[in-house]
Amino acid sequence: MINFSGISKVYDNGCIALSDITVDIPKGDFVFVVGPSGAGKSTFIKLIFREELPTAGKLIVNGRNVGELKPVEVPYLRRNLGIVFQDYRLLPNKTVYENVAFAMQVIEVSDREMKKRVSQVLDLVGLRHKAKCCPLELSGGEQQRIAIARAIVNNPVVVIADEPTGNLDPDTSWEIMKIFSRINKGGTTILMVTHDKTVVDAMKKRVIAIENGKIVRDEVKGVYGYEN
Amino acid sequence: MKIRTFEYFIKEAVGSLRRNPIMSLASISTVALSLLILGIFLIMVLNLNNMASNLESQVQISVYLQDGLSDVETREIGTRITKLSGVNSVMFVGKEEALSRFKQRLGEQQSILKALDDSNPLPNAFEVKMDKPEGVKPVAQAIAQLKGVENAKFGQEIVEQLFALTKMVRIFGVVLIGFLALAALFIISNTIRLTVFARRKEIGIMKYVGATDWFIRWPFLLEGIILGFGGALVAVLLLGELYGALIQQVYESLAFLPLIPQYPFITTIGIVLLVIGTGIGALGSNISLRKFMQV
Repeated sequence: MINFSGISKVYDNGCIALSDITVDIPKGDFVFVVGPSGAGKSTFIKLIFREELPTAGKLIVNGRNVGELKPVEVPYLRRNLGIVFQDYRLLPNKTVYENVAFAMQVIEVSDREMKKRVSQVLDLVGLRHKAKCCPLELSGGEQQRIAIARAIVNNPVVVIADEPTGNLDPDTSWEIMKIFSRINKGGTTILMVTHDKTVVDAMKKRVIAIENGKIVRDEVKGVYGYEN
Repeated sequence: MKIRTFEYFIKEAVGSLRRNPIMSLASISTVALSLLILGIFLIMVLNLNNMASNLESQVQISVYLQDGLSDVETREIGTRITKLSGVNSVMFVGKEEALSRFKQRLGEQQSILKALDDSNPLPNAFEVKMDKPEGVKPVAQAIAQLKGVENAKFGQEIVEQLFALTKMVRIFGVVLIGFLALAALFIISNTIRLTVFARRKEIGIMKYVGATDWFIRWPFLLEGIILGFGGALVAVLLLGELYGALIQQVYESLAFLPLIPQYPFITTIGIVLLVIGTGIGALGSNISLRKFMQV
């Protein structure tokens, strides 16, 4: 599904974010990406949705060579990826329903299909009853669930989450993790950057640790491995 | 593009205009003002050209005679003119007739004549009609040489003066319009920049969920187009009214001035201005999109 081979990323200012990364993430995997701040985790996932371009190596995402994509092809790559951020990134002036439907609107899905699918994903995250609320009327955990609903509404093959529980208390974090587990059971690949030791240790999923731009550990049923 | 998507674009564009009413109004006014001035210059230049070509096609020479010639001398001049090549007809217009024609032309403005105190400053004259416009100049020059002839006027001289005037108006107009168009472009691109800035978060999310660049651009482009078209519409309506009023005025007091009739002339100018306005709107928002959105 995602294949890094010899990927390096050096920023224009000379800062080396990643060097010679080779890793394969097959379809249906649930992967935690861990490591200290500034290790290169964010660059690692930004390369996948082509927010950044690699300076060396070859990166295949869902059969597409990301480094060689033309700018007009980038949206089509992203339509197969669901992205979740720590700060939710919801539109405050739109309702919960509109926030989720928005992702379908931009790819021009029919009204009927949109209504059906948005209801489905709101059910999945347990917030169908709040469809008419505005994001600011919801708790942080609820907002993150809406963001997850938006990320999966277009049936992506991969969901990429950048510290999705970073702003949430432990109980709420668990609720969020349960949702991710459910999505993963449906066959969607999950790639999650996190600093949440409890979650990583308890989930017993694949863990990739990045330090100084290099993969230092890749375990099938790994643990967080750092002190919080 | 689906109709529903287009509806969405229109809704977004109109919503955005409503959120910035002052900037929207400023943009529309600037475009309206620029295009109004452009329209006025167009109308002036086209009318001057029209007058010039009207005069150019005239095959008539007016020969003004010196005062105090005897009837024999006057008749002699008439005969000589008739013999020149290309001359079709020669008609004598006496002082009195010239004055009565002049009175007719003035219409309601007879008061001008009061200044003359019943004296008649108009000379005796011949109206010489030619076969073709090309022969007018040499014949007029030959007539002017004749003894007893004060001067021989024909359309060409006025045509040349009109062309010189048209040229000046045109140069002045182009410079002024250039500045105004730049101002309109600047203010529209600034309005769109504010909208882009206000919605940068939304734009970011659209990019992450896989919206194409054009999907993101359209609402902003439409916003610019609406501003440009709206401004042009205001200018066209004003211009139509102004020209209608001008023509009315001219028919009443200066009926001899050959103005181009209001329709379809003003409709054509209106279409040109609407196209230019829409173009300025689209270009203005495109400048902002390229500069501030990088999509």
